[in-house]
Amino acid sequence: MIDLIIFLSLLALGYGAGSWAEKRHYRSIAARENATINLPAVTLKSVAIPEHKIRSARLVYGSAVISVDYFKRILASLRNIFGGKVKSYESLLDRARREALLRMKEMAGDATVIVNVRIETSAIGKQSRRKNIGCLEAMAYGTALTVEE
Amino acid sequence: MKFTARQPGINVNVSPIHPLKEFAILAGGLLAVVVGIYLVLGLAVDLIVPRLSMDMEKKLAGAFIGKIVENEDAADTTRSLQALVDRLQDRCAPLPYNITVHVTESDAVNAAALPGGHMVVFTGLLAEMASENELAFVLAHELGHYANRDHLRGMGRALVLMTASTLLLGADNSINSMIGQGMALTELSFSRKQERQADEFALETLYCHYGHVADATSFFSKIPEDGDPGRFGHYFASHPENRRRISHLEDLAQARGYPTGDPLPLPADLTVKINPP
Repeated sequence: MIDLIIFLSLLALGYGAGSWAEKRHYRSIAARENATINLPAVTLKSVAIPEHKIRSARLVYGSAVISVDYFKRILASLRNIFGGKVKSYESLLDRARREALLRMKEMAGDATVIVNVRIETSAIGKQSRRKNIGCLEAMAYGTALTVEE
Repeated sequence: MKFTARQPGINVNVSPIHPLKEFAILAGGLLAVVVGIYLVLGLAVDLIVPRLSMDMEKKLAGAFIGKIVENEDAADTTRSLQALVDRLQDRCAPLPYNITVHVTESDAVNAAALPGGHMVVFTGLLAEMASENELAFVLAHELGHYANRDHLRGMGRALVLMTASTLLLGADNSINSMIGQGMALTELSFSRKQERQADEFALETLYCHYGHVADATSFFSKIPEDGDPGRFGHYFASHPENRRRISHLEDLAQARGYPTGDPLPLPADLTVKINPP
């Protein structure tokens, strides 16, 4: 009985805190994406800018680590029984990728464009099965070009 | 190509389902599967009981035997009870079981029929007995459960699990011993119909053995109304169900013309051990 109470409390806490954090994060992401909309980050390897006009080219990267909450974890383990899309993890990955891109743009500062952008994802704390801390990292990197006016 | 900066507007990477809705669907599905298995196990009990061989039943019994703590001092009592059961079985209650009587120290005013013909009699029951006929009725009642194989049905869904695990993993597997440990001897539950049939069997056996049915219902009647039946209230008269059983037995005895005679005293072994002077 006490186990059930603990389980339900964790579930409610996970859902409450998780949804609150997610909503707040998405609001922040949307605002910053709008603010940095004039700094394009593209996957092209190069852009048609004459070389003498490029003042600087440098590596920029951003990474974000997002943790799963208890509710999402239980939802995902239920998914593990029946199979199908693990929808509860989709928003975590989405947030991590977009946050990483935003941090990369922040690092780029007043650059004109970021080319050759790549995004990579990895799980953290997967090694020890028992103490699985269940979070994931997304990393975005590219080459920031600053072009003379 | 001109680069135009704009937001995509929609998020294609996140499914637009409310997480609580998804949780309700998945958890509900899991619950439905569990309930389904539970119901199927319940149906499987009635399928399995008539098909369970005596050999299989002996294997199942292994899980319970460890729980029977026999009292060394009660060896004479056990022998005396065993002799009484054998006498009853010999002429009047031929069963395909070799009944083994075990006496267990407990306040429970009860007896239990375990798989494999192991009949457990609690000392609390023996302390209440006033005559051999009365004791014989209770023992014959348990024999009646064996005759109808109620003792297997009484285990309920545990029987299905134990049978399946015995078939798959052999007699001494961990599932069996876990169920055996977890199940209290007095927890075997019987339906009203099963109890009534066992009562009728006991009455017939009593008449067959003694030629009369004296003291058949005395055990039900003499327990005081204020006695706490608790969960061992198998035989207590204060329970309305037991009043119904008494009147059913009296009606049956009258209808079949079973006479009442003089009850025999308890066997000496029992009197000395249970009611010390």
